[in-house]
Amino acid sequence: MTRGYHDIGGNDAGSIPMVELPWLHWEKQVEAIRNLLGDGTRRMLSLDEMRRGFESFGEDKYKALSFYRRRLEAMIDILVEKDVFSRADLEREIAAVRARWEPRAECKT
Amino acid sequence: MRPRFDRGDRVVVLELGKSGHVRTPFYIRGRVGTVIHRCGSFLNPEDLAVGIVAGPVVPLYRVGFFMNALWPDYVGNPSDMLYIEIYDHWLAMADNFSAAA
Repeated sequence: MTRGYHDIGGNDAGSIPMVELPWLHWEKQVEAIRNLLGDGTRRMLSLDEMRRGFESFGEDKYKALSFYRRRLEAMIDILVEKDVFSRADLEREIAAVRARWEPRAECKT
Repeated sequence: MRPRFDRGDRVVVLELGKSGHVRTPFYIRGRVGTVIHRCGSFLNPEDLAVGIVAGPVVPLYRVGFFMNALWPDYVGNPSDMLYIEIYDHWLAMADNFSAAA
């Protein structure tokens, strides 16, 4: 029988924490970008492809990441796999955006 | 692909042993349920998961299972059912499959 580490329906899990978590801005952005990548005009990444991505993380990484962090990391994996961009492209872009947004060292008190 | 099942059919969920992304959870495999209705036909998510978007489409069914059959310690109303959507290739007629069900 094949059972993925994510396929936990029916397992004992203790009590459910009934706490409403905030939906953070970056999490909404992750979901918005996923919708744009998968819409009818682009079809660069399907919902099922993204799911396959985080179901291939390995159990430790999967359990270490939050719901939206999993989706973000899986989207990156799939887009790199499909040659939409490379890891180097991504790192370069992250560095450029970080340089724009983070205050320079001398500004800190 | 024409739908092989219709409302009221007793079906058993197969264990296909497929790796990769599948939408049929482990806890429902080998269980017998009843087709509630046909949901239409859709691209197979197992294909979409590896970037195959050319089809073919696969019939999808909403299938009902009695909760107290799935969960031996279920204490709710005995008529409570779990409804779950399952693709055609994961199902077989239960009455032809009684040995495994």
